[in-house]
Amino acid sequence: MSKQNEKVTINIDNQVLEVKRGLTILQAAERNNIYIPTLCAHQDLTPFGGCRMCIVEVEGMRGFPTACTTPVEEGMVIRTHTAQVQAERKEILQLILSEHTSSCLICDEKDECKEYMGTIRKAGVITGCRYCPNDGQCELQEVVERLEVKEIDYPVYYRHLRVEKDDPFYDRDYNLCILCGRCIRMCQEIRTANTLAFKQRGRYTVIGPAYDRTHLEAGCEFCGACVSVCPTGALSEKVRKWDGKADREEITTCPLCGVGCQISLQVKGEEVIGSLPAEDPMVNNGQLCVKGRFCVTELVGNYQRLRRPYKVQNGTKVDIFWEEAIELAAEKLSACSGEDFGMLIPPNFCNEDLYLAQKFARVALGSHNIDTTARSFYESGFNTYLDLMRMGAPLSDLQEASVILCIGLDTRFGRSVVGVELRKAIARGAKIISIHPRHHSLSVIADKWIQPVPGTEVSLLHSLVRLTEKKRTGTTRSKSKGIGESLGDELATVAKTLKGTSAVVILVGSEFLPYDQSPQILEAIERLARNIGAGVLPLPAQSNLFGSILMGAYPELLPGGFSSTDKKRIAGLRKKWNADIPHLSSRSNKEIFSSGKRLKMLYLMGEVPPNLRPPSEFLIVQNIYPPVPWDGGDLVLPSAAFTEVDGTFINGEGRIQRVRKAVDPPGEALPDWEILCRIAKKMGAKGFDFSSAREIHEEISSLVKGFGDFDNPARKATSLTCEGELTVSQRRSSGTKKADKKLPFLLTTSMVEHTYRGFPLSTWVEGASALFAPGVVDINSEDAKKAGISERDEVVVTSSHFEKTWPARMVSEQPKGTLHVTLLRGESVGPNPHPVKIRKKNV
Amino acid sequence: MKERSVTNKDLIHIFSGFKSEEGNLIPILQRVQEKRGYISEEAIKRISRFLKISENQIFGVASFYSQFRFDAPGRNSIKVCLGTACHVRGGQILCEAVERELDISPGQTTKDKRFDLERVACLGCCALAPVIQINDDIYSRMTVIRLKEILDKYE
Repeated sequence: MSKQNEKVTINIDNQVLEVKRGLTILQAAERNNIYIPTLCAHQDLTPFGGCRMCIVEVEGMRGFPTACTTPVEEGMVIRTHTAQVQAERKEILQLILSEHTSSCLICDEKDECKEYMGTIRKAGVITGCRYCPNDGQCELQEVVERLEVKEIDYPVYYRHLRVEKDDPFYDRDYNLCILCGRCIRMCQEIRTANTLAFKQRGRYTVIGPAYDRTHLEAGCEFCGACVSVCPTGALSEKVRKWDGKADREEITTCPLCGVGCQISLQVKGEEVIGSLPAEDPMVNNGQLCVKGRFCVTELVGNYQRLRRPYKVQNGTKVDIFWEEAIELAAEKLSACSGEDFGMLIPPNFCNEDLYLAQKFARVALGSHNIDTTARSFYESGFNTYLDLMRMGAPLSDLQEASVILCIGLDTRFGRSVVGVELRKAIARGAKIISIHPRHHSLSVIADKWIQPVPGTEVSLLHSLVRLTEKKRTGTTRSKSKGIGESLGDELATVAKTLKGTSAVVILVGSEFLPYDQSPQILEAIERLARNIGAGVLPLPAQSNLFGSILMGAYPELLPGGFSSTDKKRIAGLRKKWNADIPHLSSRSNKEIFSSGKRLKMLYLMGEVPPNLRPPSEFLIVQNIYPPVPWDGGDLVLPSAAFTEVDGTFINGEGRIQRVRKAVDPPGEALPDWEILCRIAKKMGAKGFDFSSAREIHEEISSLVKGFGDFDNPARKATSLTCEGELTVSQRRSSGTKKADKKLPFLLTTSMVEHTYRGFPLSTWVEGASALFAPGVVDINSEDAKKAGISERDEVVVTSSHFEKTWPARMVSEQPKGTLHVTLLRGESVGPNPHPVKIRKKNV
Repeated sequence: MKERSVTNKDLIHIFSGFKSEEGNLIPILQRVQEKRGYISEEAIKRISRFLKISENQIFGVASFYSQFRFDAPGRNSIKVCLGTACHVRGGQILCEAVERELDISPGQTTKDKRFDLERVACLGCCALAPVIQINDDIYSRMTVIRLKEILDKYE
């Protein structure tokens, strides 16, 4: 009986079909390869029934029901292509086209036009009426062709809407819009970002955010999901506009944060023209953030990519051949002792590169002086952060969580696929509690937004820890010092919620990481997690932080995460690598890299700001872009970007995922590992005879557990196992930092974390500079009014340490008496939070 | 500054009568409009926080209904009738003339807050078409030529 209930028998165009109950007529037809034209229907979205293209005849039903909204029923007899249905469709399509520029669709000379397009021409490739960026990929064109509409009987009405080009990454020409509502449903149902809505009604209907706001102002995440589903050319990606269809795609892993989304690189010829989310249920499930969706193309395709090696001689740039570059590097490095050598590598390189870099330092130079830039990012909180990674939970835990505690997490531009999961969780009834000092993407949707005054986060978290202790001691009222009584009561309710369920997940974002008290904050998170038995997801900002630990790209760590002071391990490695590796000297890396001692040789993989690296006599820079300024290195070597190499990343959850080569590197650029191998071999070092990343991977798998198949990595979420401990400096803490009469404001700073190979995305990606603009100071609107400051005024911020001038931005949600500024990596204003005073410039 | 804090109090008072549920959006919008005469950006922001619906969605819903306005009403309000009889007798032309004269579209308020403009479906005196109403005064058998003279009467 139940089986019978699952299937129904229907008849479509005289074919008897057995289909699943619950499908719509459209779905049933599509699964049986019967074509029904559609414009507003989309497989990922709920049926809308707006375009009326999919009308069909159903025996016994009045009129023409739409196939996309009508569920199949037992014994239904459906006709999809009767003369009357086709005539109706044509009529409706003509009505749609009467508000859509259609010379690319309907033209007497359309067929001949194609022939002339091949002739000699003076202007680019634009011959014929090619004014729509979606020409050739347009669903409207397809439907017009299928329905054979040859002319329009209605007067054409052009809406004269302004083409909206004022947002980064995509343009909007709503004159081409057919109001199918796909973008809105995408934004509301799948992304739940709710930026788009139908505005007005009838013939005045337009799509967009409230009032005439730009998408940037309206809180758009720039995930690009709307652009992907638009059936016309109304929404178009700026960079990709006239590139047309891709020839092929390559699935790879995004290197722009620790989530590790799977992206599908769109390749045309030898160029990456776009990146789209890959349908991969494990991590991002068909979603991406602005970085993966829009930044990748520009990042790897910028014309300023480094194409050949050069050296800087007497202040001039001298292009050289690889042979000379390798020789020069080898000569300089051979003359350098291990003590005088240093190498820095950002943790968004592939495992294979990270492994080879540390092997290079340890074998070819006999030095442990290899470090990643993660150390200066996490500073004194690094070990505690690693502890959180040791108790790391998989992202999939979010699907079962009933309470999700987000600490310092903003999912608007970074980690926005996590934001999508959070909103899904809300929809199924989960509670979101967000601890964040400023207005952020979760402040509207969270059940509770706890806004700590800067500097009180530790006592806030400590009282949460106390309140969630299994055996509460004595006092019922928590001693919530300095966090205010009302907040204290709020915390009690939060603690109750946290204790009341077993399925709690804690997400840790980056907001509090640059704080002076980050070790204490992270430690409190750890204790809180233990108290309530919650899973922790640290969501690192670096795509391969996990891998950098396992590859041993730190002085204190060996491959596998073992400690460098472990003599047995060193001995094992000596045998394995057949080389003399020194024991870690007492002069640990910390001194080498921050004592200010001048090194003889410094090797930078990627970019590292000058004040985060030791001074050196000779500087080798290996990157995909020239250093800024161009003479910022003595020898500059061009390397390949992640789209041009094979390799693996380990994401924040511990999944090993593949990076796949899509195109060749530009010019003479080479993969990072290959450059290192060539230099090492020139220096006479053994064990660098690798001819591919796969061979390096094989060597890694003989040293590190869990590194297996290169082609099909296990992709299993695992917690970090790392025996070694990093030596971290304690951040100098200048006592309690509170605002006083002299310095009435508390300034907090956060860092631009959107980096690739150490440089901020905004340097080489135009749109990114609009989204991730550093150096703007956020002020509470009322505070600003009192100080006579208005939007974009230059504000002088003074403390006992520094004086800086930044443009102001009014934010009504910024807590009174606080300021916030985002800094570039390498910039620093001293303690964080920091008491300051402000004044308007030139007043 | 003062006016705004009054608004917020009003809003809090209005919210206190509702649960934080999506379905309460339209009744809340109606109450706000009743109280303040229009729906301000600030009000939309606060409703968004209260109902946990984005400002964009709220604006989308509100702008669908002609009963909601987004500009503070002017000192004088003009209603141009576009009912069947007025339409036939040139109501549309009259409306366009007002729009041109005041440089606003229906639903908007002039910059100097002197007038706001609305289109209505019928004022109930079809025999006198075309009709416009300014505040409580009805002007019947209107012509474009008479328009400027009449508008000048209102400050």
